Amino acid sequence: MNIDSIVKGIENGDHLSISRAISLVETNCVNDNVREIISRIYHLTGNAHVIGITGPPGIGKSTLIGRLSGMLHDSGKKVSILAIDASSPFSGGSFLGNRIRMQEALSSRGIFMRSLANRGISGGISRSAWDVVKILDAAGSDVVIVETVGAGQADLEVRNLVDTVIVVLGPGLGDEIQAVKAGIMEIGDIFIVNKIDREGAFLAIKDIEDTLAMSPGKKWHIPVLGLNSLNGEGYQDLLKVLDQRWDYISGDPGFKDGRLLMELRAIVQNTLLSRVEESFAGKNAFSRTISGLSDKTTDPYSAADRIIGKIYLKGD
Amino acid sequence: MSEERFSEAGKNLSLFKEKPAKVLLAKPGIDGHDRGILVLARAFRDAGMEVIYAGLLPTPEQVVDTAINEDVDVIALSLLNGAHMTVFKKVADLVKEKGITDISLVGGGTIPEQDKPALEKMGISGNYGPGTPMKTIIDHVMKRAAEARQKKMSGLH
Ligand SMILES: Nc1nc2c(ncn2[C@@H]2O[C@H](COP(=O)(O)OP(=O)(O)OP(=O)(O)O)[C@@H](O)[C@H]2O)c(=O)[nH]1
Ligand SMILES: [Mg+2]
Repeated sequence: MNIDSIVKGIENGDHLSISRAISLVETNCVNDNVREIISRIYHLTGNAHVIGITGPPGIGKSTLIGRLSGMLHDSGKKVSILAIDASSPFSGGSFLGNRIRMQEALSSRGIFMRSLANRGISGGISRSAWDVVKILDAAGSDVVIVETVGAGQADLEVRNLVDTVIVVLGPGLGDEIQAVKAGIMEIGDIFIVNKIDREGAFLAIKDIEDTLAMSPGKKWHIPVLGLNSLNGEGYQDLLKVLDQRWDYISGDPGFKDGRLLMELRAIVQNTLLSRVEESFAGKNAFSRTISGLSDKTTDPYSAADRIIGKIYLKGD
Repeated sequence: MSEERFSEAGKNLSLFKEKPAKVLLAKPGIDGHDRGILVLARAFRDAGMEVIYAGLLPTPEQVVDTAINEDVDVIALSLLNGAHMTVFKKVADLVKEKGITDISLVGGGTIPEQDKPALEKMGISGNYGPGTPMKTIIDHVMKRAAEARQKKMSGLH
């Protein structure tokens, strides 16, 4: 498959093309193929409600996504899913287990779902996730759902990737909830207590509401919902809240500006960083500057300024 | 495809430097045995592969759709109920129908010796039975993964 047919396929929502495009951006190194694909599909992005689902391991994120995506699909929306798993720091391999919990809901409806291994990039989400979301968005999705590695601090990054962060917690997390809450309470737009069939659900909801009440009021009122993801209890409320959230986002034309700036900054940072790496790679890199330094005809700061100028200008 | 080409590709580890080999472990059809496949899943992961196991994938269509969504290098099929000649064939046919030439098919399970040549002809290699050393299986899957990855990369331009 060449780039032309991949781009055309994405425009038509063809799963094979979408999938191939994702494989190309998946490597974490931005190459010419990635640049070309993104530049050609970018005008098609921005129509999807991008929803991040995060929370501690085993809390029921994947089960929730399976059920939610099925219901959204049945109400006429086109849904795509990206699930990020941790890879083993030792072998580099990984068991991408999120799919098992949603397979049934997906395959009967033909919903696109991709598992991504998070390859050792600290901070959780691999850089490529931004581009994967763009591809799914451009392919005509009304909703893109992203499941992220449930590991506390690492999840905070999801805030920059999505429109709406759903934080999933559960009853009986006890002290754990306190620890988890530290970072996660600030990033949630919707809070869910999953497994309300278990004891302690009411208390957990109350606890979260109390914590939220302590932080200053925002324009968006953060709801706390109880769900049973095994039998679907509470899901009608979730659908309603998601509609309200989308109305809220659509009513604010500058909603994404902050994130666009963050992404732009990340790209500039990464590009410059890799140019720095490239420039200094060779054994004889900057040999003239080095002799200038040992001859004392220049000083490190002035030399660095000159090099920075060159690195900045390269490729323009 | 000669055995020599396989092993040559298997040595080309740089193919997987940016992105590890990705394998879908599938047990199409209604076949209740989960244990064996989970052992394989763990061994593949420890060998550095990205492993997708989707639970029961009842139909060959679902196997192939999942393989497309995940863009795997290898579909590893396992069956213990003797239905391989029909089910494996259906998977191979579907892959071909969709015009996919860069995903390798590997088989395993209780497969009688006399069926193996026919499976090989469909492009389903390996076909190892119970008791095969894990290393043999992993080496073979890696070889077939390298073969698929090479085709994926050369198809880009
Ligand atoms: N009782 C009960 N069990 C649930 C509920 N939702 C999910 N589960 C179970 O919780 C377990 C974990 O579910 P997953 O969906 O895999 O959880 P997860 O948060 O995606 O897990 P990781 O991706 O590993 O972090 C499974 O056994 C589910 O069946 C629920 O509402 N009630
Ligand atoms: Mg999960």
